[in-house]
Amino acid sequence: MDQIFFALLNGTIYGLLLFMVSAGLTLIFGMMGVLNFAHASFYMLGAYFAYTLQPLTGFWPAIVLSPLLVAAIGVVIERYALRRVHHFGHAHELLVTFGIAVVIAELVKLFYGNYPVEYRVPTELSFAAFTLSGIDYPFYRLFMGAVAVAMFAAIYLLLTRTRVGIVVRSAIYRPAMAEALGHNVPLVFMGVFGIGAALAGLAGAVAGAFYTTNPNMALDLAVLVFVVVVVGGLGSLGGAMLASLLIGITNSLAVGVNFSLGDIFGIVGLGEWAGSVGGVMTMRLSSFAATLPFFLMLLGFWCVRRA
Amino acid sequence: MKLRPFLILLAVMVLLAIPWLVSSSMLNAAIQMLIAALFAMAFSLLCGQAGMLSFGHAAYFGLGAFATVHAMNAFNGEGLLPTPLLPLAGAAVGLVSGVVAGYFSTKRTGVYFAMITLALAELLHALAPHLKGTFGGEAGISSFRMPAWGFGFGTAIEVYYLTLFWVLLAIGLLYLLMLTPLGRLALGLRENQRRLRFLGYNVHALGTLIFAISAMFSGLAGALQSLNIEAANYAELETHVSTVVLLNSFIGGVRVFLGPAIGAALMTFFGHVTSDVTRVWLLYQGIIFVLVMMFLPRGIVGELVERFSGKRPAGEGIRLSEMLPRLAGIAVAALGGVVLIELLQRVMSRDYRALAAGGQWPEITMMGLSWQPGSPLTWLVPLSALALGLALVLGVNRRAAARREATA
Amino acid sequence: MTFPTRALASAACILALSAGGAAAAEPLKIALVETLSGPQASTGLLYRAAVQYQVGKINEAGGYNGAPVVLEEYDNQGGPVGATDRVRAAIADGAHIIVQGSSSAVAGQITEDVRKHNLRNQGNEILYINLGAEAMELTGEKCHFYHFRVSPNAAIRVGTLVAGMKEAGVLGERVYAMNQNYSWGVDVQEATKAAAATAGYEVVEETLHEVNKIQDFAPYVARIQATNADTVITGNWSNDLLLLMKAASGAGLKARFGTAFLDQPGNIANAGAIAEGHFVSTPFNPEAGGEKSKAFAEDYKKVTGHYPSYVEPATVFGLTLLGQALQQVPAAEDIDVTAIALALEKATIETPIGSFSMRAEDHQGVFPMVVQQVSADATFKVDDTSYGFKPVKVFSAEESAAPVQESCSMQRPS
Repeated sequence: MDQIFFALLNGTIYGLLLFMVSAGLTLIFGMMGVLNFAHASFYMLGAYFAYTLQPLTGFWPAIVLSPLLVAAIGVVIERYALRRVHHFGHAHELLVTFGIAVVIAELVKLFYGNYPVEYRVPTELSFAAFTLSGIDYPFYRLFMGAVAVAMFAAIYLLLTRTRVGIVVRSAIYRPAMAEALGHNVPLVFMGVFGIGAALAGLAGAVAGAFYTTNPNMALDLAVLVFVVVVVGGLGSLGGAMLASLLIGITNSLAVGVNFSLGDIFGIVGLGEWAGSVGGVMTMRLSSFAATLPFFLMLLGFWCVRRA
Repeated sequence: MKLRPFLILLAVMVLLAIPWLVSSSMLNAAIQMLIAALFAMAFSLLCGQAGMLSFGHAAYFGLGAFATVHAMNAFNGEGLLPTPLLPLAGAAVGLVSGVVAGYFSTKRTGVYFAMITLALAELLHALAPHLKGTFGGEAGISSFRMPAWGFGFGTAIEVYYLTLFWVLLAIGLLYLLMLTPLGRLALGLRENQRRLRFLGYNVHALGTLIFAISAMFSGLAGALQSLNIEAANYAELETHVSTVVLLNSFIGGVRVFLGPAIGAALMTFFGHVTSDVTRVWLLYQGIIFVLVMMFLPRGIVGELVERFSGKRPAGEGIRLSEMLPRLAGIAVAALGGVVLIELLQRVMSRDYRALAAGGQWPEITMMGLSWQPGSPLTWLVPLSALALGLALVLGVNRRAAARREATA
Repeated sequence: MTFPTRALASAACILALSAGGAAAAEPLKIALVETLSGPQASTGLLYRAAVQYQVGKINEAGGYNGAPVVLEEYDNQGGPVGATDRVRAAIADGAHIIVQGSSSAVAGQITEDVRKHNLRNQGNEILYINLGAEAMELTGEKCHFYHFRVSPNAAIRVGTLVAGMKEAGVLGERVYAMNQNYSWGVDVQEATKAAAATAGYEVVEETLHEVNKIQDFAPYVARIQATNADTVITGNWSNDLLLLMKAASGAGLKARFGTAFLDQPGNIANAGAIAEGHFVSTPFNPEAGGEKSKAFAEDYKKVTGHYPSYVEPATVFGLTLLGQALQQVPAAEDIDVTAIALALEKATIETPIGSFSMRAEDHQGVFPMVVQQVSADATFKVDDTSYGFKPVKVFSAEESAAPVQESCSMQRPS
C-alpha cells in the first residue's frame, strides 16, 4: 500500500515538473501557433543561470533572478528571430527555434563544460518531509510540486480574472480585432513568449538543483514536453496539466510493474512458448517506462480519430 | 534553358572522376556525402514537395540499413543477392515500413503528423536494443561485402562507384516522379488538401503513397550506408539522424529539386573537415542553420536559383556594388566570430580553467598566433571585426532599401 | 597590434629536436579515433589528454624506429558510422595503431572494421588498442588477434568490487543489481549474479532500465527499498548514476552503492555529500601504491593540468605497455604491426600499484584493481570538493583477473 502511495506521489510530483516546463510551451503555441523547439533549452538555461547566480546572491534570489534572465533571452529571440520569419509560416518558425536549441546547447557546453555542474539543493532545504515504512520523502520534492501548483493557479487567475488576461485571450482568438481595438498585439506576443520562457526557466532553476544540471538536460526533456503538450491538446493549459500528471503517474507506476507480454500467454498456459520466442514476448514493462509517453500519444490519436 | 543538360552532364563527369581527383580519405567523405544527399532527397520528397514535415525519417533509413545487413549475411554470408543489387533489399523494407507508417501518420496533418512520425521513430528506437536478434544490441550487426560480377568490392573506389550508380539512379527516378501526375498531386497535397479532396482524389491514399516512396528511398540510402560501413547499429535509429537530414535539407532548400542533395553534401563535407579541426563544429553548424533559416529562407540553393533565374523585375538583379561589400562584411564578421568562439573555447576548457584558477593566464597558440587572454586587446580585435562586418552589411542593406524605395 | 609571433609551441620544438638525429625511417603513427564533440565528448576528451600524455613520454624516451611516434586525432562524432569513416581516414593517412575507448558500440564497430581491413590487406595490418570499451564480447565472441583491451571489463569490475566491499564488511547478504538495459548493463548484471556464490550474497532483485532516458529515479529507489537490500551494485554511468544516487539519498535509502564509474569527473561535484561512503573499483588511485603513485599523479597534473582519474590511468598504463612492447621490436624500414602485436602479448610493466601485462589467449589486460570509497579523509580531493577516493583494498593482477571467455576463438597469424 505504501509502495503505491509513494509511486503515486512520485508520479504526481514528476508530472507537476513536466507541467512547469510545458505550461509556457502550450501558452506560446496557443497564442502564436509556434511549436517552440527551444523551450526545453530555456529550462536548461534557467538551471545554469541559477547555478551561476547562487554563489553571488544565495539560493532564493537566484531562483527569482534566473527566470528573469531567461525571459529576457526569450524576448530577444521572439523579437529578432521569430518575428523576422513569421511570414514564412509556422514550420519555418519551428525550424528556427530548432536551430536555436542546438546553438544554446552548444553554447552551454562552451561556457560550462561537458560535465554536470555543482548545482545542489541547499542544505537547509534537504531534509525529509515525512517518513513512511522506512522511506524518507524529501521536502524538496514537495516544494517543487508546490511551486508548480502555485504557478498553475497564478497563470489561470491572470488569464481569467484580470484585464491583461482578457487582452491576451483576445489577441489569441482574434488578433486582427484586438489590434483594431488599439491593443499592441506584437507586444502581447513578445510578453507571452517572455513569460513562457520565464516559466521554463523557473522550472529549470528549481528542478536543476534536485536532478542534475548538465548540457544534455534540454535534449532529455524536449521530446517529452512535446508529447505532454500534444496529448494535452495544443494550447490548452488545463490539458497540459492533465497530460503531465497522466504521463508522470503512468511512468512511475510502470516502473513498479514487472510485467511482460509473455505473462499474458502464461495465464492461458502458453508461457513456455512465449519464453522460447523471446524478443518482444519477454520484455518487461518496467524497462520501457520512459517510452510509455509515446504509446500514450499514439493511443490518444487513435482514440480521437475513432471518436 | 539549353544550359541545364550541359551542367548536369558536367556534374556527372566530375562525380565519375572523383576517385582520381581526391585523396582516399576524401573519397570516403564523398561516399558519405552521396548517401546523405540521397537521404535528404528522399526526405524532401515528403517535406518539400508534399509539405509534410517528418521528424522520424531515421526509422526508414535504419530499417533499410538493417535489412541490407541481414541480406548480406543471409546464406552464411553468401548474401541474398549479389552485392551490387543488395540495396534493393533496403529499398523494399523501406517501402513496406513506409506503407504501414504512412497509413497511420498521414491520417493527421501539420504538427500532429510530425509528432506521430516522431513517436513511431522513438518507439522503434526504444524497441531496437531489446530485439538483439534483429538489431544486434549495442554492438550492432556486422557484415562483409562479398565479391560479385568480377569485382572484389574491397576497396573504397568500388564502393564509391556502386554508391554513385544507385544515388544517380534514385535521383533520376525522383526527377521523373516529379514530372508525373503523381508528382504534381504531391504539390497539390502541400498547397491545398481540401481542394484536392473536393476534386475527388483520395487524399489519404495519396499521402500514404508519397510517404511510402519517400521511405523507400530513405531505406535505399540506409542500405548504401550499410554496404559502405559493412555494419548496422541501432544508433542509426536515433532522433539525431532524423534531425540531421532535416537540417541538411532545409539548409539546401527543400523546394528546389537538387537543393536538399547539395545542402546535405555541403554539410557532410563541412562536418568532415571541421570536426577534426575544432571541437565546437556543432555550434558552427547550428549557427549556420539559424542564419540560413533567418536570412535565406528558401535555403542556399533555393535562394541562388531565385536570384539567378531572372524572375525578378528589372532593376532588381544582382548589383555588384552591393553584393561585394555585403560579402566582404559577412567574411569579416565571420572571421571575427570564429576567432572569438575559438578563443572562448580554449579559455573555457577544463584544463585552462584549472591553470587560470592558480592565477596564471598562459598565452594561447591558435591559427599560428599567440594570444594573451589577459589583455583586453585579444578580445577587442575579434569583437570589433564582428561589429565592423555586421555594420557594413547593415549599412549596405539600408542603402539598398532606400534605393528601392526611391525607384518604387 | 602587438601579437607576439612566437608561433611554435614548445611541444613541437621538442618533437623536432628529438627527431633531428635519426635517419628518415618510417615513423609509427597512432590514430586516436574518439568522440571529441557532441553530447558524449567529455569522456573522449579525457582519453585524448591521457593519450597525449603517454605518447609524449614515449617520444621523450626516443620514440620508435628512430623517429618520434606521431599522434593523429580524429573525431568519430559519437557514433559507429562516424567511427568507420574516421578509421578509414586514419588508415588512408597511414596509421598503424588505432586507439579508442568511449562507447562499446563504437568499439564494436572499430574492432570489426580493423578485422576486415586486416583480412583484405594481409601484410599491411593495423592494430586496435581498446582503451576503455568494457563490453565482454570484445574479448569474447568478437575477439581477434589485432584487438587488445587495456581496461577492465564487467567481470573484473564487479568481482573486485564485491570482494573489496566484503572485506570492508559493508557488502551484506542482500544485493540489488540495478543496470542500464544494454550490453554493458547486462554484463554487469550477469557478473553480479556470477560472483554471488564466492562473495556469499544473494541477488534479491535485478532491474534493467532505459539508458539516459529516465529523469526521475524515485520509483526505482522505492523498489530497492522494498527489497531491503544491503548493497546496490550498478554499472550506471554519467547521469543515470547521479540521478539514481540522488534519488536514493533523498529517500534516505540505507543501502550502499558499489559502482563502476563513480569517479567520472563532475560526479562528486554534483553529488557532494550524497556520494560519501559509496564504493568504486578502478585500475588506479593516487593514494594506493605509495610515493610512486603520488609521483605519477603529480607528473600527470603538471603536464595536463589535472590529476589522472576515471579512464585516464588505464589509458596511460596501456600505452606504457605498448611503449614496452615497441622496445622489443627491432627498428625496420617498414613497421611490422604483427611483430608489435606479438611483442605486446609478452610485454609486462610495473605500474605504481603493481604489474600490468597482456593475456595472450584473449588479449585482455591483466592488472591490479583498487577498490575505494568516497571519503573526506582522502588525500587527493576531486572536483574542487572536500571529498576524494580513499583506497580500501588493492587487488593484485592475479586476484583481479577474470577467466578467459570460452566464446573467444582467436585466429593467430601463421
